[in-house]
Amino acid sequence: MNVDEIMTKKLEIISSGASIYDAIERMIDKRIRSLLVKPGDEHDVYGVITVRDIVYKALGKNLDLNKTKVSEIMSKPVVSIEKGVDVEHAVNLMTTSHISRVFVIEGKEIVGIISLLDVMSAALIKRAREGRGV
Amino acid sequence: MFKKVFGGNAEQKVIDSIKQHMQILYSASECFKKGLQQWDKDQMFCVADLEREADVVRREIISMIYEGAFLPFLRTNICRFVEIVDEAFDVLKDTAFEFENLGPKLDEEIREDCIQIADINRQMCDMLIIAFDALFNKGDLREKTLAIRIYEKKVDDMKFDLIGRLRSKEVKNFWEGRSLSDFISYLTHISDVIEDASDYLHIINLSMR
Repeated sequence: MNVDEIMTKKLEIISSGASIYDAIERMIDKRIRSLLVKPGDEHDVYGVITVRDIVYKALGKNLDLNKTKVSEIMSKPVVSIEKGVDVEHAVNLMTTSHISRVFVIEGKEIVGIISLLDVMSAALIKRAREGRGV
Repeated sequence: MFKKVFGGNAEQKVIDSIKQHMQILYSASECFKKGLQQWDKDQMFCVADLEREADVVRREIISMIYEGAFLPFLRTNICRFVEIVDEAFDVLKDTAFEFENLGPKLDEEIREDCIQIADINRQMCDMLIIAFDALFNKGDLREKTLAIRIYEKKVDDMKFDLIGRLRSKEVKNFWEGRSLSDFISYLTHISDVIEDASDYLHIINLSMR
């Protein structure tokens, strides 16, 4: 099974200049755990801000959520994997990088995201189908 | 126990007919998805045609059950299961009907989500057949119903996102908004009904112990 078969195509994007509070609001509204951070300029690359970043780097350090920018706590560059690669490789990448989601790229473009929950759900569905492909 | 409950000819006929009923549901959901992909309103007539075909099968199943197939304590639950599957047909038919009332084209992004939901519905119909097979072939029903719940959760997530986006969409008049709203409601409700049906399989399984 390839990553593009189970990835989430909808990406929530936030600008690096937005406040952490904006990011928190977006995550809660959309019920997601990470946001893709837009590059600051054409030489910049995509970043990612996760719930973990917010809890450990902002809430845990009592930073002002309205004044602190996303760019101050985000991770960059994002860990990514090519579309069409087997899910097993994505899992290996998550294991070695100690992360729970990997972005899926096609060329230079980010086209999706795959999380541990996606992998688990896909594995359970595959198991339930027991070789019956649809 | 399985042999005792499912072993007779009458019982086997009912089981085969229920499978046929669900296969028709699968065909209808597949046909609906194709119609949506091609944005072909004529193609949607197949849903109503298949629903009528399924109605005939459903009546036969209920008759066979009350003519004596299965032990009496199981009949109510099996009939209820068949009726829930029939509800899925009704909702699918309503979705197809509202599709005919939609304008010439939906926003590309919304359309793609609708197609994805229609595809998940189709896969859920298939998984329901697999779950039904597991019920009397001593398969692991629990893992099949879990797969159905996973699918339903996906549709649920997409539904909230879709509704959020639709709220900011401008509509020309009341009926355009109403049709779009009903279309999305029905489309996202099919998965709930299939999940209810799979829950009933679990109840049937428990009642046979």
